[in-house]
Amino acid sequence: MLENIATGFELFFTLGNLMAITAGVCLGVVVGAIPGLTATMAVALALPFTFNLDPVTGILLLVGVYKGGVFGGSITAILIRAPGTPAAACTILDGYPLAQKGQAGKALNMALYASCIADFLSNLSLIFFASLIAGLALAFGPPEYFWLICFSLTVVISISGSSLTKGLISGLLGLLTSTIGLDLVYGTQRFTFDNFNLMGGVSYIPLLIGLFALPEVIDFYVRKVAPVTVKTADKSRVTLEEFKRSLVSIIRGSFIGVIIGTIPGAGATAAAFLSYGEARRTSKSPETFGKGNIEGVAASEAGNNGVAGATLIPLLALGIPGDVVTAVILGAFMLQGLTPGPLMFQDNITIIYAIFIGIMLSSVVLLGSGKLAIRYFAKIADIPRHILLPVVLMFCVFGSYAVQSQMFDVGVMLAFGALGYVMMKIHMAAAPFLMGFILGPLFEDNLRRSFLISEDITIFFRSPICWIFIAITVLSLYVGVRRELRATRAKRDAIRAGGAR
Amino acid sequence: MTLSRRTIIAAAGAVSMLALGTSAMAQDYPSKRITIIVPYSAGGATDILARQVADSLSQALDETVTVENRPGAGATLGTTQAAKARPDGYTLFMGQVSSHGIAPAVYKNLQYDPVADFAPIKLLMSIPNVMVVNKDSPYQSAAEFLAAAQSEGKTFGSSGVGSSIHLSGEMFKARTKADMTHVPFRGSGEAVPALLAGDVDVMFDNLPSAMPHIQSGALRALAVTTPERSDKLADVPTLDELDIPELDGFAARSWFGLLAPAGTDEAIVATLSDALDQVIVSDGFVKFADTRGAQIEGGSPEAFSDFIASELSSWKTVVDEAGVTVE
Repeated sequence: MLENIATGFELFFTLGNLMAITAGVCLGVVVGAIPGLTATMAVALALPFTFNLDPVTGILLLVGVYKGGVFGGSITAILIRAPGTPAAACTILDGYPLAQKGQAGKALNMALYASCIADFLSNLSLIFFASLIAGLALAFGPPEYFWLICFSLTVVISISGSSLTKGLISGLLGLLTSTIGLDLVYGTQRFTFDNFNLMGGVSYIPLLIGLFALPEVIDFYVRKVAPVTVKTADKSRVTLEEFKRSLVSIIRGSFIGVIIGTIPGAGATAAAFLSYGEARRTSKSPETFGKGNIEGVAASEAGNNGVAGATLIPLLALGIPGDVVTAVILGAFMLQGLTPGPLMFQDNITIIYAIFIGIMLSSVVLLGSGKLAIRYFAKIADIPRHILLPVVLMFCVFGSYAVQSQMFDVGVMLAFGALGYVMMKIHMAAAPFLMGFILGPLFEDNLRRSFLISEDITIFFRSPICWIFIAITVLSLYVGVRRELRATRAKRDAIRAGGAR
Repeated sequence: MTLSRRTIIAAAGAVSMLALGTSAMAQDYPSKRITIIVPYSAGGATDILARQVADSLSQALDETVTVENRPGAGATLGTTQAAKARPDGYTLFMGQVSSHGIAPAVYKNLQYDPVADFAPIKLLMSIPNVMVVNKDSPYQSAAEFLAAAQSEGKTFGSSGVGSSIHLSGEMFKARTKADMTHVPFRGSGEAVPALLAGDVDVMFDNLPSAMPHIQSGALRALAVTTPERSDKLADVPTLDELDIPELDGFAARSWFGLLAPAGTDEAIVATLSDALDQVIVSDGFVKFADTRGAQIEGGSPEAFSDFIASELSSWKTVVDEAGVTVE
């Protein structure tokens, strides 16, 4: 074992490997920060460069791009409300309000710290508990998955903003939108209006950009606000007190990320929202979430970066790619004549150790390159809005088009931008819409799969995992609804008291 | 004066270019970047193959070859765009069993004609599907499984409606009249864990995604779906060779080949075909195919044309028998 680790070190410590991981992370951060170019696309684009590299170097390059990309997405989410990658959508909730208060630097730095810590913890779980946690990937059959999604849907309560009712309506609209396209089991067309472009469903990234980034732009022009004078360079930093306060959320978020990352198909976006929901639920001042609470930024970034290392768990331990990124990385392994899975731990253990060492180092590289990126990107916050917003608009169009090179997607972005603007005006939170849209297909697919596997309804209660998720779903609903109702009542009383006076 | 003279020269140049016409274009080919359209998102099997081909082809032609992903609508979106692309040899298409085999049989209102809209260049490689069960499954052979499926009913997983994995299962079901329920997932990455966990009973998975699990002993291979045995699984029988009359002649496989839009100059098709002959024997490609348990194919553009025709008709039969359609 020690000998293997030593050989692993030898394999890893080459200039090429260090350069690959640094270049990968930097490239990832930049690509991730551009709306429409996701971490997944960045990894796929980097794949051909690995053909002629040696296995460890190639894999580390891809892993670096992926990790950089997941963090990079938060930069534009915080600065211009346009999530660079889908998983960063949750970071908008508190990151953008902070930026509006002139504390973009603080939000970005907290996002970076949370990302790096979560990434590091995720890597540790990959290295030390891979074989232990890998079993989770198989323990989640359709019924277990169904209950996990039910639980995730209860997060809608936490992200509904000022009104629970409006939040629920928003979530339902998201669920409804997610049914557009061909259904999974029979391939029946739903709400496609015979339009070819809708057969695969509404594209995710145009919807995301439209819903979040565009309403800000529209609002600026509709209200014809006078151009804001240039702010002084943002010097806000994360204080030690804030960091300590957020640490629990970061650690909890990291572990939520690890668990969600291990289960194939669930994804970083869901992990971010779950982590955010938990942070808000356990917070002493939940009402400050969504208005620029630094803990919200920490929780969501910890959630999505916690996924990054963990998605490699089913890949390396079982040979199962849990998402598109790991599928690309699997492809890269295979091109090198390596087959991830249990056998690789027997046959190529030194390569695995070398990759592990590189992955551990990637968290540190991320911290360094993230710091550098923040220094330059933060200047975006100082650009006057009448100059910035047209550029944002351009990126909205470009980002929507870039995904599939389809003008139709630009239309989708504009349509959801209009919807997002209306929702903004009537104070209906957009986050539940996104949650519904992401979780809808998972909810439906796993419900239907369960019924295909067994006609007996007891399949939904077949394992302890089912029962655990049923229990926490019920609990979460009860606690969440009760608290929201109390808050609403308190607000109403306050208004009434104010009116009486 | 100079201006008008320059205009005249330019105009004359343009006319002569037109006069030289397409043959001149074919002679200069390739003189700019070539794009291979992949109708799936980056990272899938087709995409990775296309990137490998693009890499080798750009060396063979000494010109940049890039991959463009046009996913959507079950791969029919990208295929339609390739069909409508300008037939100048600079837009190519990575065709596969779905776009030029299954989809035309499954989708009622397809926007492209797999035969009339394309000029086949070369069949690159094929991949067998393999009938696999969980290691804890009591069935040691396809015959045992079939007997059980006929008496008590079984489930089979797939990577989605209309995939070759799905339709291989449907082919098996239709021929043997076994009682089998299809359980679709979104991609093999989700379907294989369900098989490993025992949530579905069997899967006719693509060999590359099942191979690591067969090697590790987590899955047991009962049969391959191709007419010949696979080199990778020499001791696993084909469905065809089993002593089950209903399965005689059973042939289902995934394949990949490069096509151009119809109307592409024959000389250009020939240039590409020659270049691809080099590509498929290159070390990189051979290694690539080998790690995937894939069979390298090759052959002339005409042979590829005939192959597509036979694929279209055999999948049509399966789809009609199984009653699978997408409206």
